[in-house]
Amino acid sequence: MLLARVVGPLWGTRRADSLVGRKLLLLETLGGARLSAVDALGAGPDEWVLVAHGSRVRDLTVGAEVADKDIVVAIVDGIDATDGVPTELQR
Amino acid sequence: MILGRVVGEVWAARRHAGLHGQKLLLVEPHYWYGPPFEVAHVVAVDQLGAGIGDDVVVCLGEPARQSISGFPASGGGVPGYAKSAMFPVEAAVLAIVDRVFVDADAGTFRGQALSTVLSSAFAETLVSVGGPGSQEASS
Repeated sequence: MLLARVVGPLWGTRRADSLVGRKLLLLETLGGARLSAVDALGAGPDEWVLVAHGSRVRDLTVGAEVADKDIVVAIVDGIDATDGVPTELQR
Repeated sequence: MILGRVVGEVWAARRHAGLHGQKLLLVEPHYWYGPPFEVAHVVAVDQLGAGIGDDVVVCLGEPARQSISGFPASGGGVPGYAKSAMFPVEAAVLAIVDRVFVDADAGTFRGQALSTVLSSAFAETLVSVGGPGSQEASS
């Protein structure tokens, strides 16, 4: 599971049937990598989220029929951390 | 499983029901084993009570989910899954490290002896280096 910031929503009219009605987000991880994920929690731009990967995670959150294996599982409020964390996340 | 150090605790009020009540730790791996993304951290569920600064063993993938005990708050069943394993989790703290022993001939990592790299990673006296028979008598 990784920490990532929401860059914004991904829009695409033509999409796989299993993704119709699903909200897709473009994320940027703490290390700067970008990926997209299905969001069922309602995260907004610039919010930090916890993104989990895998078919098991997908099955248990949004459903086995969804054609995506990166899922937003939590919206991060803050982090107790020693260093290496964006200042807006430190508590 | 990977060795890492706990560098933070993640707070998240809005979370999937399967994560309710689970403590989330931010772990910096001492090594990274071929990450899918260029990241330097992993967030792991902790049921052992590790704290910031502790060195831990983090299990990744399916066994991490199965290692979580208890019952998630989420309701209905999902076909093929026992209710006791319905956690959307792919990283979990499975051990808090007391001590690591590394063979002096354990190989290299990015041009440095692995034992040297590990010794610096575990600066707080955690690593002892040597071959069979040369292990320190202490602890």
